Amino acid sequence: MMFSIPLRNKFRFSFNSPGKAVRLIALLLLLGLSGYIYYLDVTIRDAFDGRKFALPARVYSRALEVYPGLKLAREQFLDEFRSLGYHESPQADEAATYKNTLNGVEFTTRDFAFGDGPQPAQHLRVEFADGKVSLLQVRGNPDADLPLLRMEPPLIGGIYPGHNEDRELVRLDQVPKPLIAALIATEDRKFYTHWGIDPRGIARALYKTVTGQRIEGGSTLTQQLVKNFFLTPQRTLTRKANEVLMALLLEMHYSKDEILETYLNEIFLGQDSSRAIHGFGLASYFYFDRPLDRLELQEMATLVGMVKGPTVYDPRKHPELAMKRRNVVLQEMLDQKVITQAQFLAARRKPLGVVLRAPIGTSPYPAFMQFVHHQLELDYREEDLRSEGLRIFTTLDPFVQHQAEQALQSRLSAIEKARRIPANTLEGAVVVSSTQTGEIQAMVGGRDARYAGYNRAIDAQRQIGSLVKPIIYLTALEDPQRYTLITPLDDSPLLWSQPGTPDWKPKNYDRQFHGQVQLRTALANSYNVSTARLGIALGVERILGKLPLYGIERQPPPYASSLLGAFGLSPVEVSQLYQTFADGGFRTPLRAIRTIVTADGKPLQRFPLNVEPVAPPGPVYLLTAALQGVVREGTAQSLVNWLPAEMNVAGKTGTTDDLRDSWFAGYTGDRVAVVWVGRDDSKTTGLTGASGAMTVWGEMMKNIQPEPLQPAMPEDVEMANVDPVSGLRYDEGCKAGISLPFIKGSAPALTSPCPASSGPVAAPRVDAKPDVKSGGKHDTRKKNWFQRLFN
Amino acid sequence: MKNRFVWLFVSAWLLLLAGCAGVATRPSIPAAAPATVPHAAQQPGAAVAPAPRSAISGNRAVIALLDRAQTDSEAGQREAAGASLERALRIEPRNPWLWFELAQLRLAQGQYAQAITLARKSNSFSGRQYRVQAENWRVIARARVSQGDAAGADQAFKRATDLEQQAGAEADHDAGFHGQ
Repeated sequence: MMFSIPLRNKFRFSFNSPGKAVRLIALLLLLGLSGYIYYLDVTIRDAFDGRKFALPARVYSRALEVYPGLKLAREQFLDEFRSLGYHESPQADEAATYKNTLNGVEFTTRDFAFGDGPQPAQHLRVEFADGKVSLLQVRGNPDADLPLLRMEPPLIGGIYPGHNEDRELVRLDQVPKPLIAALIATEDRKFYTHWGIDPRGIARALYKTVTGQRIEGGSTLTQQLVKNFFLTPQRTLTRKANEVLMALLLEMHYSKDEILETYLNEIFLGQDSSRAIHGFGLASYFYFDRPLDRLELQEMATLVGMVKGPTVYDPRKHPELAMKRRNVVLQEMLDQKVITQAQFLAARRKPLGVVLRAPIGTSPYPAFMQFVHHQLELDYREEDLRSEGLRIFTTLDPFVQHQAEQALQSRLSAIEKARRIPANTLEGAVVVSSTQTGEIQAMVGGRDARYAGYNRAIDAQRQIGSLVKPIIYLTALEDPQRYTLITPLDDSPLLWSQPGTPDWKPKNYDRQFHGQVQLRTALANSYNVSTARLGIALGVERILGKLPLYGIERQPPPYASSLLGAFGLSPVEVSQLYQTFADGGFRTPLRAIRTIVTADGKPLQRFPLNVEPVAPPGPVYLLTAALQGVVREGTAQSLVNWLPAEMNVAGKTGTTDDLRDSWFAGYTGDRVAVVWVGRDDSKTTGLTGASGAMTVWGEMMKNIQPEPLQPAMPEDVEMANVDPVSGLRYDEGCKAGISLPFIKGSAPALTSPCPASSGPVAAPRVDAKPDVKSGGKHDTRKKNWFQRLFN
Repeated sequence: MKNRFVWLFVSAWLLLLAGCAGVATRPSIPAAAPATVPHAAQQPGAAVAPAPRSAISGNRAVIALLDRAQTDSEAGQREAAGASLERALRIEPRNPWLWFELAQLRLAQGQYAQAITLARKSNSFSGRQYRVQAENWRVIARARVSQGDAAGADQAFKRATDLEQQAGAEADHDAGFHGQ
């Protein structure tokens, strides 16, 4: 036997006869070839196993919870359907379909695996009345009322593997039979019988190459799959040979079904700017905005036709070529008797039916996605995020996000127009979160909300100006023996010398000094001088040292000028600060992620609600009252143009030197929102907090329709009726006074008789119950603003 | 010999059952609680509201989620129970009863500082609802016991008792409340 020659014999007898030399060379070649084949084998198996499981992380927005009584208009619900890819259908009995009815919609949800288990598809009915859900039923025999429905969460993006490949993994049994038949009829008729290659095809290809024609074709599906693993532009004989060997090897290791399934998920079917579209599952969404199992025959044929050349037969760029190719595929199907003549004729007549704009791939919400990604990077390795198919459930509320984007865009354009500012020079950022749970519902990183670049909500560090003032006032109010809302503050000229810094002479925005002003008035009108004096009296270090307590890591310079916000923070940091004021002194770290679930549906990580008490509730209640004063009668009073006074919004404007930054931070009963407006080059905008950012805030909130702010009164707070100017106390019923909150025991002791002209009226008591809804209809003009505020 | 095996088997089985029972009843009073602790007789389960469902919320969705939280909690699935409570809180973020439920859950999970903070947060939404305040002070008291703060626990238990009496006196006031 040729192969049994011992090695030493080989050397001893080498070159004795030509026959032996040939044998030796053959052996060496064989050894080399074996090594090479082994190398190819390892490579292709790595590629096959590796690619098979390279699944990008999927990121979902919040799941809409629907229940009777929920504030939700039909149009809003239809928007939710759109973002979930539901389609109108006459019966609405298939998953992800709906139909409009007289008072609402009937629809069928999809199966969805949440972090807490699977939720099967349901046939449902929702009706609306007065902008609310009035009925929620399971359609059946008989219909049954449902207390609560959790919709599937809309997908808002993915975290893709290195080459920015995106895919929507499908199992073989999810792929429609006609599609597979079309693929095999067109690309590889002997797929189920050959062992990886088609010798006749190869011979033909070889012949053409040898005779100087172009190198081409003859690829089985297996070969195409191999080619797709190592996408390189050059077509050489070596590559072709490798491809053949690898195809043979693949067939040795894997079943036909495994190869076909991988092929269906792997094959390159188009390009969406930087994102490569791989696999039929994703292509189905990309071209038809529907899952694979809902495609019609001619649509499947279009996709199969694209295998030959995704660029040439791109149905958006070259519809005629794509149509011709589709019909070729249909013809092949007919020839192979996969479809009937009637099916063929019907399908041929249909238009391409491609959706004009591809559903947005990378993410429609790049700013929020970036924030999510940052949070994930703290706990996960980048390659796991890109390949493990993790499912990430986030807090984003598409409705709130939409309102935030719209308001920023429309207001900035309007401001530029009204003030003759060159178009598109203003920029902005918005962050909206839930007051009580700290969940980020919207994040806008710039007026072009789709642009995935500079994210001003996180990355812009802009001077915050007066937004810092509430920390000073809260620190003061925490000492009720010295400070109440009516304590007089000194707003006369101030010169402050601190070693190492130039002398500091803070000025008010109106260039005036106001003498003695009440604490609440100084905050309402954002007086700088009295605030600076108050801060200095309390201690610069003490004030600035409180920032970490409110979740702000950044340490501002230890100068008195920092008391007036001469340091930069990002909008999201400011949100964290105001979240604590809004939530009665409880700090809840802002969250963007609720849960992370593995590809097979097991909960991996939860980010539970965490609350920390950082400021006593009583003084925070007083601060909120003062911040409501900012909106009622102070620098933000024009907010009433957007939101009714009954909303009782608390907020603060921020304006920096030379009008470079325009800020507004505020809160309602259920939401905290921060808006920044300015220029990227930090030049002046000519805008104050009230004329810029606040208008964005107002426009956005008007459309979100927030809950009014009605904080419950802490037990150590009491109301007292006082004279608004002198601060002397009146009897409770005296009309001349205003009702203000005080920490118990700190209300003025000195009483004054009620001025004769104003007799007692029904006591305007604060109702501390949190469920009080503002009526919105009572005549508010007869009372002064503070009575309204606490009424 | 064989008998001994049977005996061993039976006792092992009983031990196992006892263990399961321990999980199922969710000892919300920490093992370290001294026998002298007042109100020891009132040991509500982790997610069992000591008030009728209708007093907690008028929203059936919230009640459904509370029920689910209770089921999960009873099955030892506290993470899942927490997730359901958070869902309820998203619907009624200012309902003090829901914050109390979450506080109680954290107590059962051994997160004493969180339990105390959440009970305080519940109180901050409670207005004049003395019953939920009393429950919150009881949570605070138990958490303090576990933290080794016996004096603080006594004070908290006392506040709970006082509030309980006030609640009795003003029961009619709260009956109509539905947090939203």
